[in-house]
Amino acid sequence: MASSNLMVGLEIGTSKICVVVGEGKPDGTIKILGVGQAPSRGVRKGEIVDFETAMKCVHEAVVDAEEKSDIMIRSVYIGITGAHIQSFNNRGCVRVSEDHEEIDEQDIEDVKINAREVSIPAPNAFLHSIIQHYHVDGQDGVLNPIGMLGQKLEADFHIIHGVRTRIQNTIRCVKELPLDVEDVVFTPFAAAQVVLTQHQKNLGALVIDVGGGTTDYVLYVDGAVKQSGVLAVGGDHITNDISMGLRIPMTRAEKLKVEEGSTVLGNCLPGETVLLKDDSGFAGKEVERETLNTIIHMRLRETFELLKRRLEDEPFLDYLGEGIFITGGCSQLNGIDHLAEDVFGIPARASHARTMSGLTSAFENPQFSAAIGLIKYAQAVQGDRQQRGRFGRFIGKFFNGMR
Amino acid sequence: MIQLSRNYSLPEKKEDDLAIKIVGVGGAGANALDRIVLDGMEHAEMIVVNTDVQSLASSVATQKVQIGRVATRGLGAGGDPELGFNAAQESADELRETLQGARMVFVCAGLGGGTGSGAAPCIAQMARESGALVLAFATLPFAFEGKRRTAQAMEALRELQRVSDAVVCFENDRMGDIVLPKAGIHQAFAVADTTISQSVRAIVNVVRRPGLIQIGFDELLSALRSQNSRCLFGFGESDSDNRAHEALALALKNPLMDRGKMLTDARHILVQISGGPGMTLTEVEIVMRELGRHVEDHTQILFGTSVDGKMGNRLSVTLISSLSAEGEVAPALPLRAAKEIASEPPPPIEPVAIQPVTEDATPVVPMMEAPATELEEIAPPAAEIAPPAPVRKERKPVPPREPQIAPVPAPLPVKPPPAKKENFFQARQEVMQFEPITRGRFEKSEPTIVEGQDLDVPTYLRKNVRVK
Ligand SMILES: Nc1nc2c(ncn2[C@@H]2O[C@H](COP(=O)(O)OP(=O)(O)OP(=O)(O)O)[C@@H](O)[C@H]2O)c(=O)[nH]1
Ligand SMILES: Nc1ncnc2c1ncn2[C@@H]1O[C@H](COP(=O)(O)OP(=O)(O)O)[C@@H](O)[C@H]1O
Ligand SMILES: [Mg+2]
Ligand SMILES: [Mg+2]
Repeated sequence: MASSNLMVGLEIGTSKICVVVGEGKPDGTIKILGVGQAPSRGVRKGEIVDFETAMKCVHEAVVDAEEKSDIMIRSVYIGITGAHIQSFNNRGCVRVSEDHEEIDEQDIEDVKINAREVSIPAPNAFLHSIIQHYHVDGQDGVLNPIGMLGQKLEADFHIIHGVRTRIQNTIRCVKELPLDVEDVVFTPFAAAQVVLTQHQKNLGALVIDVGGGTTDYVLYVDGAVKQSGVLAVGGDHITNDISMGLRIPMTRAEKLKVEEGSTVLGNCLPGETVLLKDDSGFAGKEVERETLNTIIHMRLRETFELLKRRLEDEPFLDYLGEGIFITGGCSQLNGIDHLAEDVFGIPARASHARTMSGLTSAFENPQFSAAIGLIKYAQAVQGDRQQRGRFGRFIGKFFNGMR
Repeated sequence: MIQLSRNYSLPEKKEDDLAIKIVGVGGAGANALDRIVLDGMEHAEMIVVNTDVQSLASSVATQKVQIGRVATRGLGAGGDPELGFNAAQESADELRETLQGARMVFVCAGLGGGTGSGAAPCIAQMARESGALVLAFATLPFAFEGKRRTAQAMEALRELQRVSDAVVCFENDRMGDIVLPKAGIHQAFAVADTTISQSVRAIVNVVRRPGLIQIGFDELLSALRSQNSRCLFGFGESDSDNRAHEALALALKNPLMDRGKMLTDARHILVQISGGPGMTLTEVEIVMRELGRHVEDHTQILFGTSVDGKMGNRLSVTLISSLSAEGEVAPALPLRAAKEIASEPPPPIEPVAIQPVTEDATPVVPMMEAPATELEEIAPPAAEIAPPAPVRKERKPVPPREPQIAPVPAPLPVKPPPAKKENFFQARQEVMQFEPITRGRFEKSEPTIVEGQDLDVPTYLRKNVRVK
C-alpha cells in the first residue's frame, strides 16, 4: 500500500462480502475511497462453512474494491463474528513497582495481562480486552492513569474471546488470497465506532447489527463497552421462515422480504395481497400481506426478546441514555425501530455510519456499517502505534486507546 | 411473555394442550412428523424419536429423543428391527418420561426398516401403559423394497396392532398410484407423508376442535379399529362456488379410497368437514347426501365439523375408514379395551350410536335441512372451547351424550349413482406438494439452540401460530 494512512476493512458477512478502502486524514477524519462488494456464498451464521467458495467470493470483492478505489490492496483489517464469541467483564490489579512513582505504559500492559489471567475455555483465544476504567489507589473512573502517582493500579476490562480454530478459519481464508491480516475485530465493536459518537457512548447506547446470519450487539455505558455478543439468528432466518410459511423458494422469499416485508402488524387492508410474479409465465401466486408481515414480526420480536433476556443478566439496560441503534441489512425492514422500542421499552432507531467524506452512498447503507467501522478502528490503532513509536509496535495489538 | 397484536392469539397454556402427543419414529416417522409440523398443528406436542442423529438433527419437531445411544452409536438401526427394539429398551426411561401426561398418543412410523419397525411397537406399548389412548399410523414398504423388508414390516404391524388401540395402515404400493409413474421414490414418500399428515390432522380435529358436532373417542375407535384391516383414506379441499361437492369428489378420488367403490364394504366411516366461518349447514348436508350414495344402508357414518377461521374460503373433507380383509363381522377390540368393557353392559356400538340425539331438543335432521344458516352463529366461539376430549375412562355403558356429540342419523337411502357420474368426478385434481424436508439454508451450520429452543425452526411454528 502506497501510504500508511490507507486502510482497508474486510467483512466476510453471511450475505455479502464487503471491502472498504479508506484514507485517514491528518485531522482525524476518514475519506472513503471505494467499496468493493460480492455476494457471499459458503458462509453461514457469520462463519465460513465452504472454504473454497468463500475464498472465491472474497477475492471477487477485493478485486472489485481495487478497481473502484484504484488502490492495490495488500493488507486488511477483518471483521469476525459467530455464535462462538463470548464476553465478560474482569478487573486486573497490579502494584506499581518501587523504582518509579508515576504510572507508565508498562504498568498499563501489566494490568491488562493481569485482567486476562482468568480462565477461558481451552479451545478459546482472546479477541479483545477493551479498557473500561482505571482505578488508582482506589480512586474510581480514571480514564488515563499515565503519569499519575500511585501504588495500586486496577483496571476493568471487557474481554471478548472465541474459539481459536474458528477465528483462524477466517484469517486463513484471507491469508491464502494472499493478503496480510493487520488485525481481527469483533464486527459489532467495529460497527459501533461509526454508528455512535463518543458522546453517545458516554450517555449509554446499545448497537444491534442485524445481519444475514447473526445478530451482533455491543452495549456502551459511561463511554465503555459493558456487554457484547452474538445471537446466531438473522435475516436468513426471516427468509427461511417466509419460505416455509408461504411455501415459496428461498430466492423468492428473500426478494419478497426485501421488497414488500414489514414488521408492522394490523396495517394491511383485510385480504390485501402481494402478487408474486412468476418468471415462467404461469399465473403468479398471491400472498397475504398480513401473513408475510406476521412471519417477519414474530421472528424479529423473538430475536429482540432473546437479546433482551440475555442483556438483563446485568443491569446496564437501565443506563442507556441514548437508546438503541439498529444497523445491518435487516435494519431496513419497515417498523423495526418501533418493534425494538416495544420489546425493550427504550427508544430505538435504525442507523448507519455517520457522515465522513468521500462516497456518501457507502455510509448511508447500513449493511456497510461494520466494514466502515473497521477503517475507523484501524485509524485508531495506527494512531496509537505511531504515538507510541517503537514501544507501541512491540506491544502490537495490545494498544489501549480504543473504547 | 409475548404480546402480539389482534391478528392472532397464542394458544393459552392450558393443561389440556399437553393432552395429545404425536410421535414420529425412525426416518419415515420423522419425515411424516415434519410434514405435520409444516402443515401446522396446534393442540399437540410433536416428538421425534430415532436412532439416527443426522435425521434427528434435521427434524423440525421441537422435541427430539435419541434412542439406543449405546446400541447404535447414533448411526441408525441399519434395517435391523431387533436393534431398533433394543434401542427403545435402552432408552425406555427417557421415552416414558417424554410420553408422560398424554391422554392420546399418535405413533407414526414407516415399517420395514430397523428403527420404526423395532421401536414403534415398544413406544406404543409404553404410551398405553401410561394410560393414553394409542393410535398408530404405519406405512408398509413398496414391493420393490424386497421381501425381507415386507416380512419385517408385517411382523411389526402385528406387534403394533397388539399394543395399540387402533392402527391406521397405508400401503406404499397403493400410495404410489397417486404419483405419476415417472415420479421418483422421494415423491412417493412425500405423498405418504402428506397422507399421514392429513389423517392425523383430521383425527386431531375430530377430537379436539371446537365444532358443531364433535365425535367422541368411541366412535373414532370403531371407525378405525379392526384386525388385518386395510385403511381407506381420502382428503379433498376446494374453494370454488361448488366447494362442498368438489371437496368430497376429490376425497373420493384418492387411490386409497379406490374411487369410492370400497366404501360400499365399509361398516363405519369417519367424515370430517372443516371450513371457515362462512361454511353453511347446506354445504354439510351436500357432503353427507352425496356421500350417502356411496355407502350401504347399514354403514354408520360418523361425522364431525369444525369451523376454523384460517380456512378462509376453503372447505375440506377427510374420509377415514377401515376394511376388514377377512370380512370379519365384529371388529376385534384391543386387549385393554376388551378387558375394561367386559365387566360392563354391552358396549354401545352401531345401534345406539346411530340414534339421533334425544336430550337435545333440536333433532339433527331438521337442523341440517335448515336454509343456509351460517355455522358461525351456532358454533361456540373459539374462546369457550368445547369440553375437553373425553377420556377413555369416562366411557359409559349407555351414552348419555353431550349435546355436541351427535352421530349422524342413519344414512339417507342409497340411490343408484346418478347418471352423470362422469361429471361428478370431473373436479380439478388437487395438486400435491412435494417439498423435501431439510434444514435448508442452515444445512451445513451448527444449529442455533438458545434457551432450549432450536431457533432454526421458524418462530411461527414454535409458537404454534398458524399462517395461511
Ligand atoms: N412416508 C415415508 N416413508 C418412508 C420414507 N423413507 C422411507 N420410508 C418407508 O419407511 C420404511 C422404513 O424406513 P426408515 O424409516 O428410513 O427406517 P428406520 O425406521 O429409520 O430404520 P433404520 O434406518 O434401519 O434405523 C421404508 O422401508 C420405506 O418404505 C419417507 O420419507 N416417508
Ligand atoms: N432493504 C432491505 N430490507 C430488508 N432486509 C434487507 C434489505 N437489504 C438487505 N436486507 C437483509 O439484510 C441481511 C444482510 O445484512 P448484512 O448486514 O449485509 O449481513 P451480513 O453482514 O451478515 O452479510 C439479509 O438477510 C438481507 O435479506
Ligand atoms: Mg454483518
Ligand atoms: Mg433410518
